[in-house]
Amino acid sequence: MKNGCSVFLAAFIALGASWWGFVLAPVLQLGTAKQTAVLNSSDIYPNQRPGDATLGLQVYRADGCAACHTTQVGQEGVACEIALTSLGKNQPVEFKKFIASLLDLPRLRPSSNSVTSQMQSWTGTVPQIIVTNLDVDTANNLLQHINAAGCKAEVQIVATGVDIARGWGMRRSVAEDFLWDDPVQLGSLRVGPDLADVGTRLNNAGWQLLHLYAPQSVAKNSSMPPFRFLFETRKSKTSGVPSPDALNLPTELAPPDGYEIVPTADAKNLVAYLLSLHAGVPLYDAPFTSRQASTNAPANKK
Amino acid sequence: MSDEPKSCSTPSSAEPTATRSTVPVWIFSLTVVLLYLGAVYFDHHGGWFDANVYGPYGSAEELDSYQPKSGAAAAFARGKTLYEMNCGICHGIDGLGKPNQAPPLAGSEWVKAKGVQRLTHIPLAGLTGSVQVKGQSWNLSMAAMGAALPDADLAAVMTYIRGAWGNGMGEVTADDIKAARAAIGAHPQPMTGDQMMKMPE
Repeated sequence: MKNGCSVFLAAFIALGASWWGFVLAPVLQLGTAKQTAVLNSSDIYPNQRPGDATLGLQVYRADGCAACHTTQVGQEGVACEIALTSLGKNQPVEFKKFIASLLDLPRLRPSSNSVTSQMQSWTGTVPQIIVTNLDVDTANNLLQHINAAGCKAEVQIVATGVDIARGWGMRRSVAEDFLWDDPVQLGSLRVGPDLADVGTRLNNAGWQLLHLYAPQSVAKNSSMPPFRFLFETRKSKTSGVPSPDALNLPTELAPPDGYEIVPTADAKNLVAYLLSLHAGVPLYDAPFTSRQASTNAPANKK
Repeated sequence: MSDEPKSCSTPSSAEPTATRSTVPVWIFSLTVVLLYLGAVYFDHHGGWFDANVYGPYGSAEELDSYQPKSGAAAAFARGKTLYEMNCGICHGIDGLGKPNQAPPLAGSEWVKAKGVQRLTHIPLAGLTGSVQVKGQSWNLSMAAMGAALPDADLAAVMTYIRGAWGNGMGEVTADDIKAARAAIGAHPQPMTGDQMMKMPE
């Protein structure tokens, strides 16, 4: 071959470049990922999944759940909102006028539309979210004005996007979420809803089992196929009283008298895995103000 | 040659040629413009391959600016962290104290007092001798565990203690800590329970 050397070199460079881009660079970037601290907390995230949930991941994989479900929440933007925590010595009516006059300032106007709808009928209860959908500079600017007036307020960070508006999570998915998963079941097609935060959204194991056995009995118009092979029909061991595991099915799906439907170990593990999926923890790389932290805040009655 | 049959209807001038020709200048210009736009896009969205930077954030600086930092909730959470690091070993992460080691803070009348003067003196000066907490007598000694913490951090810890475990009391400010520090002076002696009780709440 006349150009053997250059053909080899070209192939080597082409394959080497893709290896560098697809394998080496991600390993250098995320290969040393560790548990991180939850924002404003001493807690560590993520904790290793419980044993049955780790086994459940393999059931999730074997049954091809990732073919129709993703476990990644998308985020399109980030916005700030201002929450008033104390009025100080001001009156609610005066405060409303004050905020309205602030929002008329030319450098605040472009990004802020108006006060929130709850402010129309607001009577002075705190905490109250006053303005939403601000960028961080405008929010800090507005905060200074409010603090200068003797009130106390704080800037809250909110993740925005279609997925978050649907209630599929509080923030985008990041690499840490998948630290303990092998293999990672990201999924790429959404025939069903995203499951990244399903453990928070639908945290009832009984509901999950019923949904696996007969999806349409709990979610009408669902296109999910039933996963009945994860359950077994067996003779009731005790007459009259169902065993604790038995599914509580509607009459048209109920087994004949003397029989009951119980989940197998696979079904229980799969549900344990689903219940271990959460995307509601604020992290450095996906910050948001945790509602949990706000409700734990001390009462303002010094 | 004219009587030779034509096999193809295309005129001979349309035959492909193999001569060299120069690349038009506009292709170079377009490439440079595309490279420039690509570099600008990368600069705005690339985050310089920082593992912590995901979209919608463009850079580590932008991500930093969006960290929730202000407000009571953040101070409360910081207080929790500091409490667990500095106080929790003896007083318990649940604030219930430990027998023969430290009295409880949850529901303690020392913590739930109206004023914070006695409470702020304890970690700054230390406390020794017999004290009554929740109807029980404790005869222990605590060093000035909080004296090394900055004012704002100690204030956050005290705010956490007063707000957590259903204590429901208001915040302690850095000024409160500063005032207590000034009252104690540079060379504190551990105060006794009796001295404490003579001080206003």
